[in-house]
Amino acid sequence: MASPSQPAIELRGITHTFGGSFTALKEAGLEATAGSFVSVVGPSGCGKSTLLNIAAGLLSPSQGEVRVFGQRLEGINRRAAYMFQQDALLPWKTVRENVALGLVFRGKEMPVALREADGWLTRVGLDGFGNSFPYQLSGGMRKRAAMAQCWITAPDIVLMDEPFAALDVHTRMRMQQEVLELWGNAGQTVLFITHELEEAIALADVVAVLSAGPESRIIAEHRVDLERPRNLVDIRLDPRYQELYRKIWGDLREEVLKSFAGR
Amino acid sequence: MWQLAVGVAALGAWEGGVRAGLLDQFFFSRPSDIGARLGEWLRSGSIWAHLGTTLAEAALAFLIGVALGVAMGFALARMPRLAAVLDPYIRIANALPRVVLAPIFLLWFGLGIWSKVALGVTVVFFIVFFNTWQGVREVDPVLVNNARMLGASERQLTRHVLLPSALSWIFSSLHISIGFAMIAVVVGEYLGASRGVGYLIAQAEGVFDTTGVFAGMAVLAAVVLAVGAGVNRLELWLLRWKPRVPDSTYQ
Repeated sequence: MASPSQPAIELRGITHTFGGSFTALKEAGLEATAGSFVSVVGPSGCGKSTLLNIAAGLLSPSQGEVRVFGQRLEGINRRAAYMFQQDALLPWKTVRENVALGLVFRGKEMPVALREADGWLTRVGLDGFGNSFPYQLSGGMRKRAAMAQCWITAPDIVLMDEPFAALDVHTRMRMQQEVLELWGNAGQTVLFITHELEEAIALADVVAVLSAGPESRIIAEHRVDLERPRNLVDIRLDPRYQELYRKIWGDLREEVLKSFAGR
Repeated sequence: MWQLAVGVAALGAWEGGVRAGLLDQFFFSRPSDIGARLGEWLRSGSIWAHLGTTLAEAALAFLIGVALGVAMGFALARMPRLAAVLDPYIRIANALPRVVLAPIFLLWFGLGIWSKVALGVTVVFFIVFFNTWQGVREVDPVLVNNARMLGASERQLTRHVLLPSALSWIFSSLHISIGFAMIAVVVGEYLGASRGVGYLIAQAEGVFDTTGVFAGMAVLAAVVLAVGAGVNRLELWLLRWKPRVPDSTYQ
């Protein structure tokens, strides 16, 4: 683990152009200190996912660079796990095989990996579902499995791309609480992408606002000084939360309106 | 019940038509004669050697064709540039009517089983190849990205993601290619062989023995159906991770 002051991930002057014509990001910069939870909010279509894919090393930026614990990122970001918006469990593997996947890819023996996966299934409340196939689980349960799949590899950085967008409100709140618990126990750096300001503030230490696309960039960063551990059920009633919400919404509002006008 | 009724009615009409003199027995034979011939073949055991040869040829053609088809399908799907270069040649090769190759293969590989196997391979290969190619290209990119983020190497990606994902495509082609492998092999035997069901049919035809021709056809149909049922069970097991959709077409 790195010292707490060193940024776990730095995005410097990231510009990304698709197909030589559409510039999704322009000079976007962001850094996350080790162990912090950073949310990135922005209107739909502002290049949030592009930014995350660049941080993951799945895309290499047209200009600018990504630094991971001070080192320039080339190729896939090996210290990061990625939780996708869509279902990313392999449908032809059972839940425990899916959770064990990251360990198997790293060369662990199958029985050892499966045993470790079973432990994680218990932790995320999927005891007894290990031998089910993903299609047999509910949306929320699939997300729990995806969380276990990410965290089992003991990543230093977790990248999350609107992971709970498809869930109903109450399931989503439970999942958010569970993410906070997992994060609180292991202390990774989290980069969490969302278009919902409520979620962004409730979870994060820092909320970064991305401007409307095209040519999006980070226009503001707000520190969220709500105390931890947080109780997400009641946090929306906290006056400090409401104050932060009004302040950040002031920035985001403009961008959302711009994204409407752009349609 | 209705399915059975249709079969019985058709065979009954055939038998009755011949007995009533509406159909010429010389050209159309009779179900009862065909049945008797099949019984004779089974009793004397003469059919087994022929059937064994045909099945061995078809199995070899099928296995070699599938192996080459899957390998090539993968290679081209993973190497788009190579695919672009080879594309016109693949199209030309596939446009060729395979039957005209049979005499050439006879010259190249002789009258034994390998000329038939080669003909079968050319048929099976293209069906499997195109389906594999398509299957690999249509893999959900999220699954690929997720596996890469979890640390999959190129080989692990193929084994855990691409191959299983292409499997349902490959399977849909197996049903067709088994039938085609049989057809190709029988055509090969028909044109020149000393053994096999196709040879049997050609012999019967040579002496205007329509009963023998029909009996040979019945044997082939039964074998293809039996093998198809086997593939179905294998498919059901290998694709057990898929939610079952009620199948309304065949049951």
